[in-house]
Amino acid sequence: MLPQILPKSKFDEFVGSLSADNRVVAPMAKGPAFAFQEVQTPEDQAAIRMDYDLSILPPKKFLMPQRETLLSFGGRGPENVQPQVQAKPTVILGVQPMDLHAIATLDAAMAKDPADPYYQAKRAVTKIVGLNVAQYANDYQFMADMDTLDAPASGWDLFLTDLGDRWFVEVGSEAGQAMITKCAGFSPAKSDDHAAKVAFDKAKAAACSKRLPYDARYLPELLANSYDSLLWNAVARRCFSCGSCTNVCPTCYCFDVQDKLGLDAASGERVRSWDSCQLRVFAEVAGGENFREHADSRLRHRVFRKGKFILERTGKPGCVGCGRCSTHCVAGISILETFQQIADEAAAEI
Amino acid sequence: MAKPRVSFHDFTSCEGCQLQVLNCEDELLGIVGAVDIVNFREAIDEKSDEYDIAFIEGAFTRESDRKRLEHIRKCAKIVVALGACACTGGLNVLKNFRGIDESMKKVYGEAASWYETSPALPIEAAIKVDVKINGCPIPKQEFLEVVKSVLAGRTPQIPDYPVCVECKLRENVCLFQKGEYCMGVVAKAGCNAWCPSYGGRCYACRGLITDFNKNAAKDVLAEYGLTLEQVMAEFRMFNGVFPVAEPPADGALKS
Repeated sequence: MLPQILPKSKFDEFVGSLSADNRVVAPMAKGPAFAFQEVQTPEDQAAIRMDYDLSILPPKKFLMPQRETLLSFGGRGPENVQPQVQAKPTVILGVQPMDLHAIATLDAAMAKDPADPYYQAKRAVTKIVGLNVAQYANDYQFMADMDTLDAPASGWDLFLTDLGDRWFVEVGSEAGQAMITKCAGFSPAKSDDHAAKVAFDKAKAAACSKRLPYDARYLPELLANSYDSLLWNAVARRCFSCGSCTNVCPTCYCFDVQDKLGLDAASGERVRSWDSCQLRVFAEVAGGENFREHADSRLRHRVFRKGKFILERTGKPGCVGCGRCSTHCVAGISILETFQQIADEAAAEI
Repeated sequence: MAKPRVSFHDFTSCEGCQLQVLNCEDELLGIVGAVDIVNFREAIDEKSDEYDIAFIEGAFTRESDRKRLEHIRKCAKIVVALGACACTGGLNVLKNFRGIDESMKKVYGEAASWYETSPALPIEAAIKVDVKINGCPIPKQEFLEVVKSVLAGRTPQIPDYPVCVECKLRENVCLFQKGEYCMGVVAKAGCNAWCPSYGGRCYACRGLITDFNKNAAKDVLAEYGLTLEQVMAEFRMFNGVFPVAEPPADGALKS
């Protein structure tokens, strides 16, 4: 379907049409920051901020919640186990291009070896309305380098670009097309709309300059060369190992699983929650051995996951340049700065 | 199998952690169904020396308490330190930095010589402790986790990572981003980021994580305007028993 135009005056009507048979979640202010929250009331709808710059947690939280019950058990034996797959039809409104890329990474990671039924059940009933960005949210972002300034070719249903008094709406799927036909406010884009959209993207590309001193395709190899660098120890001296970087990361998907017992000490629930490779206990195994006992090896591991391992494993970027990890680091550790520094580390070794 | 016999004891404390046990209103019937409570001054009149699990609230602040603590240890198979006072000495440790004499005078005035006191310490200084439930007060869910784990015969799952983890999972706006400061970066989680979620800052009442980054804490707090003296005060508030709270000789914090 060709791109459509939605006048801004019809936006509320559009959101209303989505709410009819979906849970709608959208960016809203949270103190001085933004967070994706459920739109439940007319007040919530009025509070939607399609001009938000960056959400604290990525929209990942709707596909893989911070805490999720996997199964409940009434006692020993498989006959007492009841799987709990929760999946509510959901529209995530206002997902920025780099977060669309991140969801593509999660889709790939959760699709194999073995496929994750909990993620897939949610993903199957989730529709995504993307949102173009005009500029970087802060100095930590580097989407231009990671090639995530524009929406990926697929993995979203609608994609909105702000043209001032109207939304330029691209259609990415049949579900997206159905969303258009359910609301009377849309009309086909005309030539001046297309021109305005092209101008928007051109201005965006001009505003968002590259920030790495090298082409990102060399990132995995540069990282490999820097494995023994003193850089990791130097950066880790400031690191609290608090895990904020991974918890706000749109592509991190590591989790922990624990059984929560009832007072009868027999029944209970199996719960998974986000885990972080930055926590000291993450790589601790039975017997007390810890494969990454010190903060520097944990920090290096995260940076390698982001710049190398996830890409090699899934074919999708492990870092989309959103800058959340650096924005939320109390110690001010910036992954962009680290990526910049490894270029010189590698040069120094030659 | 007979129901485990459970006993509550208190030393130097406000007894708020035992109150937290009584605050487990939805679970209380389940608890009394699963265990026999034989001593609980805040809730029942009965007394007994026969029990399997002892929950001890309060700090060890009088030499004469050692005997009572040793007696509890002898009676119980499992000793659980209940709350900050029992686990780390809690707020009571503040007096250790003031000097005992000055504290006595301040509290008891001319009658100071009538009373006995010594530097506040965790109960571990007197007897072996098997499980610690940290916090001022304890989180109810952690008390329940320990009770359930003891009933099931397994190790309770108590976090040893910073409060930041729970704070981020709740998607709170970081206090540092608001220009304020917080001890969450070095404090043990398990409270579900209680204080930061309700507008306060973390005081590290649940103790410090293993291998916390003391120098990063000092540097970051200094960047947010705290003097070394104020950084020390933050550590002393609930964690005065740790070396990091001792006066630094050369400006460097002790590990």
